Amino acid sequence: MPSRYLFHFAQVHTDFRLPELQSIAELHSIAYTLPENQDDRDPRRPFMVVELEGEEQARLLARRCILIKAVYEFYAQGSTYEELHAANKLSEPLWTRYAEDTSFRFLVSSSHHKIPQSRQREVMESFSYMDFKGKIDMKNPEIILLCFEEYEERHDKTLAKYEGDGDFRQVFFGRLIEEGSARPLVGKFDVKKRVYYGNTSMESEISLLMANQTLASPGKLVYDPFMGTGSMAYPTAHFGALVYGSDIDGRQMRGKQKKPGIIRAATQYGTASQIIDLATFDVTHNPWRCGELFDAIVTDPPYGVRAGAKRLGRKRELSERQRELCLQHSISPRPDDQPYIPPTKPYELSHLAVDLVLLARYLLKPGGRLVFFLPTVTDEYEEVDIYSMLCDGMEVIANSLQDFGSWGRRLVTIKKTTSKKYDPPTFEPVQPKYEEPVHVPAHKDFREKYFQGFKPKSSEEVQNAVNTEAEGSQ
Amino acid sequence: MVRLITHNLLACHAKDCNTNNFPLQFKDVQLEIREADFNPEFLKGFMPKIEWKALVETAIQLGDTSLPLEQPEMLDEEFLKNLHHVLLEIHVEEGSMTCPNCKHVYPISNGIPNMLLAEHEIG
Repeated sequence: MPSRYLFHFAQVHTDFRLPELQSIAELHSIAYTLPENQDDRDPRRPFMVVELEGEEQARLLARRCILIKAVYEFYAQGSTYEELHAANKLSEPLWTRYAEDTSFRFLVSSSHHKIPQSRQREVMESFSYMDFKGKIDMKNPEIILLCFEEYEERHDKTLAKYEGDGDFRQVFFGRLIEEGSARPLVGKFDVKKRVYYGNTSMESEISLLMANQTLASPGKLVYDPFMGTGSMAYPTAHFGALVYGSDIDGRQMRGKQKKPGIIRAATQYGTASQIIDLATFDVTHNPWRCGELFDAIVTDPPYGVRAGAKRLGRKRELSERQRELCLQHSISPRPDDQPYIPPTKPYELSHLAVDLVLLARYLLKPGGRLVFFLPTVTDEYEEVDIYSMLCDGMEVIANSLQDFGSWGRRLVTIKKTTSKKYDPPTFEPVQPKYEEPVHVPAHKDFREKYFQGFKPKSSEEVQNAVNTEAEGSQ
Repeated sequence: MVRLITHNLLACHAKDCNTNNFPLQFKDVQLEIREADFNPEFLKGFMPKIEWKALVETAIQLGDTSLPLEQPEMLDEEFLKNLHHVLLEIHVEEGSMTCPNCKHVYPISNGIPNMLLAEHEIG
């Protein structure tokens, strides 16, 4: 018989909450049921009542979900205290066993509102019918009871001073089972405290959420094809997985000392032996001998604001003579030359995204996950943008927005649902699938759009662009 | 770094180099032995991916003769410990890997192999 548990969530990255819960439940094979009412599962609210098999499952979730602050045994909720107490009296079988001689602490708290102490006492006294005879212990109580008032959030509106806090919405009551112990990892992996990082390093909370989307656990093999300074590798390895990283630019992985920067940072976290290897190569010309190697691919592709994506090749074709000279030079460099560095050309983001999904389908084991960030322009984004980069056998299972206003980035989780074997992708330029005009993905040419400040094109420019394209296709 | 598990997964990928492009041949190597956590479940799951002959021969070349020439059917503790050591604890820190077919040399420095191709080697 499943029981109800009250989850207290951090009110950040709200779009990531349910995907994280789903991932960790899948990782531990936990069955759960969310509230039926859409309003009761609104991820912007601090509390959610979830049905689970038992307390052990609630604890497992609290130990791994970054966004869980605490889990409680659920006793009651109400939109007034009368409703709350009526419901709580019905839950008597759950709490009566603590009434006789269990020491306890009673907390009254709230979101977006401060309750004066005198009213806190009134609230506590209104529960006197529970008749708890045990000692009140503020330091080491056997149980902690929490009564939590939820007020309307008013963050997104500009307030006039006299308006005050939002309206009272709901009140919840339950017994603390476990505080979320994964949340402190956000501090542990803080980029500022890391011995090696770069200007493109991912903030720790997001990289932990990404690691959870990969279902990282001991014995799993995870790959980051745009490794950079290794931001996602550290939490992924912390959860027990073994990590491979590659990057077209080895300097990001190495840093300036002899011992590679990524290994130094991993040593700081005690996971150096789980960074299996790092290698310098262009993922569109990769040396992997076979496919179906990895349980997950997790990456933050460079999208051109701090660092643009690059692939091997040249922006402009060389003349016959120049090509000959280059060939001679790369085969027999002069003795005083630096190591040969091949030329690179920009890698447009929408092409990269399509290629990444194809590559993941080849390199992932069946059931494996591809987890990556895609920046998009808020006004232009349509859901089809995500679906237009999919291929057979790859399905989107989560798509969470981190909103920065005029642009945002979406953490996309794609699952390989096929066990069919595929050839390695060829990374040919993408041909448009349809004849008629389709929606241009909001992440296409993201770099240009970013530096133009996301101004919508004037109709004249749009017309010109259409004409140019039409000429190009003739 | 450049553990033998990695070496067993890398093939030469230069343009038109499709046969006899594996395993890459180590040259002038500096080795380091570093302990890693033993996970028998991972090893068992990974075994089907291993090119066994290439692994054993490379291990012998680097001075480790603990693995049998044929992949055994019975996986006992001793065998798994040896496999663990060969796959995950031998690190090639310096040196290079040469393609047996096209002779491309992939240099290794501070444990990181440079697998980039030259301009004339890409399609």
